[in-house]
Amino acid sequence: MRALLRKEIDELFAARAYWLVLIATSLLLAQSYTDAVNTYREVSTTTALSTLDGIVTPSAGAYDLAIMLLFPFVAIRLVASEKSSDALKLMLQWPVKMRLHIAAKFVVLLFAWMVSLIPFAIAMAIWMTRGGHLHASETLNVLLGYTLRFALTSAIAMAAAALMPGAANAAVVVLAFTIGTWALDFMATGRGGILQRLAEFTPAAVTRTFERGLLRMDVVLVMLAVTALFLTLTSMSLRRGTQWGGGAPAAAALIIAIALCAQVKTSFDVSDSQRNSFPPTEVAKLSRIAQPLEITIYLAAEDPRMSDFSNNVLVKLRRAMREVRVSTPYGARSALFENDDRYGTIVYRLGGKSTVSRSTTEEIVLETIYSLTR
Amino acid sequence: MSELSARRGTRDVLSQVSFAVRPNEILGVIGPNGAGKTTLFECVAGLLPRTSGTIRGEPFFYMPDAIRPWPDQTVRWTLDLCARVWGTLPNTADLDLEHLMDQRVKSLSKGEAKRLDLAIALSAPHAILFLDEPFDGLDLRQTRQVMEVLRRSQRTLVLSIHQLRDAARVCDRFLLLDNGRSVAMLDELGDEDLEEVFLARTAAQRDR
Repeated sequence: MRALLRKEIDELFAARAYWLVLIATSLLLAQSYTDAVNTYREVSTTTALSTLDGIVTPSAGAYDLAIMLLFPFVAIRLVASEKSSDALKLMLQWPVKMRLHIAAKFVVLLFAWMVSLIPFAIAMAIWMTRGGHLHASETLNVLLGYTLRFALTSAIAMAAAALMPGAANAAVVVLAFTIGTWALDFMATGRGGILQRLAEFTPAAVTRTFERGLLRMDVVLVMLAVTALFLTLTSMSLRRGTQWGGGAPAAAALIIAIALCAQVKTSFDVSDSQRNSFPPTEVAKLSRIAQPLEITIYLAAEDPRMSDFSNNVLVKLRRAMREVRVSTPYGARSALFENDDRYGTIVYRLGGKSTVSRSTTEEIVLETIYSLTR
Repeated sequence: MSELSARRGTRDVLSQVSFAVRPNEILGVIGPNGAGKTTLFECVAGLLPRTSGTIRGEPFFYMPDAIRPWPDQTVRWTLDLCARVWGTLPNTADLDLEHLMDQRVKSLSKGEAKRLDLAIALSAPHAILFLDEPFDGLDLRQTRQVMEVLRRSQRTLVLSIHQLRDAARVCDRFLLLDNGRSVAMLDELGDEDLEEVFLARTAAQRDR
């Protein structure tokens, strides 16, 4: 394995692609950090802006572009160059299993990613030396989100390079995947059901979750399992001459694992301000409610009250209560031309009782839910 | 190797090809372009799926034709890598590679790349080597030098060669392939000219 890692590191550094990506990422990060500091300075004179929202998230945003548009080429090259030069034909005869080759490539890609985080570490060090505050767990959480995204995108790029003839075709596949997840993210907003559930795991949605200071274990596990699935596909498709059936049980097991991981409900609020949690006394009260809480929200997805309710109340309720079932009858409809008296209302049902409220404020929502328990 | 068959799409690219290799012999696989020589080697090496057939005997190493593995690395790096994999360092002096050690693989000429490929093949510890077009791109002097190196390696060699003169000079026996089928196994050429035998046997195959 050491010999393989050394080979992959040599291959990584021998390519111009990686050096270009490093330079581009550093420049992007310098720009986003400078913009973030300027905006933070202006806004913080009038509004209390957290460093997570004001500095960490916008600075790390540089990696959004790098992961989507730059790093896939590094991953594609690591696989495609050995295919096109026929070095793969030699490697397939080595006394090394293909999954070890793929593991070595993936580990080296993670190393490449870690190196690319150095400019971010420097930017945050500058921020702190200038007297800025940084909360370690929420900063590391944002980086974890991007690292999971990087891992998934790299695995997809490697699988595309293994399956497609030529690096250009693989790049098109990765780009199509990225655009596809944007489309899913856009289409699924407020629709509810399986589509919205799927959209919670698109790279953009994953990043948003981590940027809120929320560490959701279902997201972490699904991302890891999907990454493993694509790495398995890479290994299966590179083992030319052997039957695909060999890796099929592993792939099937991973698909089942993904479905199971999506059911995990554990999450941690790692934000400095505990923005994803109700106060401990309220959490204690809510956790004692055994019945499922059903919430029907008569708001369109684009309504600002909807995002208020989702971000400030629903996230916290889901973390505090055993079961929260949410339905959004308007889905993605605009509701502009619908003459519905129910529009703007939120219906709560608990243990056979129900009540209606129009408020999206945390305190009033809690009071409404407690009224159903009496 | 018995009754090897392979398909590409709906086309049969190998049909029930059988042959055996004797210890320490040099078996030449000859045939016109598109006869299935490379397909046969890749099938035997497990790089292409076969639809039927069995392979028995010692493990072997296959060196494809005209490859430039890890083009951004140097010749030294490539040979060191092979040495790390197999535990044996190839003799670079015999293949006239010493002065090329610090050159990148992508900058090698066709003949230089071919000598590197042979060095890679010889670094493998296998007793049987399948070499696809081992003399392609080499001049006469280099061809003779490589033949000498191959003979001295004391391995069993299966060579795919389209230059019949080279084949006649170096091989002990010949497997003649045409259109994915085994046309003949020529054990003894005697006074016969390989080119004449080749033309006669492949013409007969086409007439059928």
